[in-house]
Amino acid sequence: MRSFHPGASKAPMKFRMPTAENFVPIRLDLDIDGQRFKDAFTWNPSDPDSEVINFAKRTAKDLKLPPTFVIQIAQSIQTQLAEFHSYEGQEMHIKEKIVPLKIDLRVNNTVIRDQFLWDISNLESDPEEFARTFCKDLDIGDPEVGPAIAVSIREQLYEIATQSISSARETRVGKKGRRGGDIVANSKAGNMVDLGKLFGSKGSVIRKRKEWYLYEPIVDILSNEEVGALDAREELNARLKRKLDEKEESFQTRYSHG
Amino acid sequence: MASTSPPPAPAPVLSLPNPPRPQQLAQPPPVAAVKSEVPVAEPRDPPASFSSIPPEPSPAAVAASYTITIPSCSGWFSWDQIHDTERRILSEFFDGKSASKNPGVYKYYRDSIIRRFRGNPSRKITFTDARRGLVGDVGSIRRVFDFLEEWGLINYTPSAKPPSAKKGEMGDDSEKKEAPRRICSHCKSSCNMACFTTDKADIILCARCFVRGDYRPGLSSTDFKRVDITEETKADWTDKETIHLLEAILQYGEDWKKVAEHVGTKSEIDCAARFIKLPFGEQFLGPEEVGEYGKPHQKNDKVVTVPEGENVPEQSVSKRMRLTPLADASNPIMAQVAFLSAMVGSDVAKAAAQAAISSLHKVDIAGGNNASDDRLRPAASDGSKEEEAVAASNGQTSSDVLNEAVAEAQSQLKKEEQDVEQYLSDVVQVQMKEIQDKIVQFEELELLVEKERQQLRHMKDLLFADQLVIMQHKMQLLSQGNEKGEKVKQTNHVP
Repeated sequence: MRSFHPGASKAPMKFRMPTAENFVPIRLDLDIDGQRFKDAFTWNPSDPDSEVINFAKRTAKDLKLPPTFVIQIAQSIQTQLAEFHSYEGQEMHIKEKIVPLKIDLRVNNTVIRDQFLWDISNLESDPEEFARTFCKDLDIGDPEVGPAIAVSIREQLYEIATQSISSARETRVGKKGRRGGDIVANSKAGNMVDLGKLFGSKGSVIRKRKEWYLYEPIVDILSNEEVGALDAREELNARLKRKLDEKEESFQTRYSHG
Repeated sequence: MASTSPPPAPAPVLSLPNPPRPQQLAQPPPVAAVKSEVPVAEPRDPPASFSSIPPEPSPAAVAASYTITIPSCSGWFSWDQIHDTERRILSEFFDGKSASKNPGVYKYYRDSIIRRFRGNPSRKITFTDARRGLVGDVGSIRRVFDFLEEWGLINYTPSAKPPSAKKGEMGDDSEKKEAPRRICSHCKSSCNMACFTTDKADIILCARCFVRGDYRPGLSSTDFKRVDITEETKADWTDKETIHLLEAILQYGEDWKKVAEHVGTKSEIDCAARFIKLPFGEQFLGPEEVGEYGKPHQKNDKVVTVPEGENVPEQSVSKRMRLTPLADASNPIMAQVAFLSAMVGSDVAKAAAQAAISSLHKVDIAGGNNASDDRLRPAASDGSKEEEAVAASNGQTSSDVLNEAVAEAQSQLKKEEQDVEQYLSDVVQVQMKEIQDKIVQFEELELLVEKERQQLRHMKDLLFADQLVIMQHKMQLLSQGNEKGEKVKQTNHVP
């Protein structure tokens, strides 16, 4: 048993996802000719590049999307993969910390809200396993919930991992393709839990009873009307946001010209 | 090939009433994984308070009967196991290189995808469907999906050409057509159900021509032999073959491949069909594999049928209706009886006739043709009803007859239980007798030991007595000696 020093940093290691499998969460949010396509899944970065274009073709064929989507999908995936690969050469400093992760998402008719603690330094952790167990334990009927949870966890872990790279702190490119409409990503993953307090002499591993409700998962089933209403609202928000972004860009270009 | 058992009881957490299971699969899925796929097939139910199954707009309620076909090259598939083929082709899950790619995960992907497809087998499942419902990286899911699709475990329709010849069986080249269709020499129509051949002349007659009776002069109806086409392709089932079949079934259960091997001359489908045709065969009809007849036999396909409205036996029965052999047109009742008897075969007709006769005996024949005719009619109709019932039991869906079969099965079950109890009690008795014998032996032993003890005691007593005697003598001698000594002293004393 190694002695426990909260805050002590391990030797820096090469960037990777702090999970058993070095998978990347990919999020797609494309709007072409008025047709919207949103998706999120887990990708294995060691798959060959040919997989990307095959996947894009297959997805477009399965969902009967117009062929213009194929290129866009492939490009989006490749961009995100490239970003991931760009981090890979660098070193990250993982402190032994336990971070709270949040799940707050809606998949078809199911709403899931949960928060739990995750050990960043555990390189054997498995978000997929967590998601599978979550769905099984809570008896979730919709099979699309599992992947969404896994992707959400991975995204948060990805964010934490990239934050721990010292050089990445300065440049943070606007992750437009990353934030989907229906996920409140946990960007401030910084409030790590002070392990010393928990496991020191005064603390205990057992959670205080008054805090139990905070960590209890909530699963809600919505009726179709509510789903429709939420979808409509999200569409609206997304459209407004896009308009704002466009305005900003045009604003900037105007300034840069002047 | 796969072992069959009734579909699993619904997992206790699910509170939704399960409708008559559309998932009448030959292989029961593991109970734990049923939950996530059930909503695909269930009709729209209000969400119960304990389960989180959302009210999904479901596809039109899956018909209770459908067939799932997988090519025979994929016959190795089984829900409970992972076959070497899978290990070989999808080795990434089995080489232990990554902790989260293990056989359990592979099985989860495979079972989920197949179950999802079978929940709605009329529609091909797309890769996107599959991967959206599975937790994992899309690369591995894609490889599993492609593997399953290539091997026909999903998205496989028998009419579609099997994808590649290298997968074992040679594609459609070896598609074996049914035995050359028999054409009736008289009316030049093809014989479907049964035909009648004669050895004297090379003539094949369909049932209709045979009935009509206009064969060539020189031939009589006795010369003709009835040949069922649906059952046999070239030859009848000889007794030997039937015995082989039964042996093989006892030994291999429902592994039709092995059964067919054992029988030798008959294909899998023939064996299965024959087995069902056997008088007791229908008791084993359940969610099982039933040979599909009426369609051209394809050696490549292994058919997994769901009974409950088998369209094919109905077809065959309706075809049989067209038979009118040995029709004595003058008496319509006799005609009906005759045609039914020809339809079911001689043994059954004999049994039915005997039953009719016995019921006739019960009826008072008070004389008068009318009266006897009246009774004959009900008797005949009883007979014909019985025949119909017997005919019906050959696969029709009349619920009464099914109930009868069920009752019969239950009574046999009871009998077996009783037998088992009887044997148990015999065994118990024998063991008790053993114990009793042992007890008797031990008692005898005890007696012997007791006797010995007594003897010992006796000897001890004797010894004691001897010791006493010796002591006495000793004392006497001593006292005598003393006396003598004193006497000597005294005599010496006296001067």
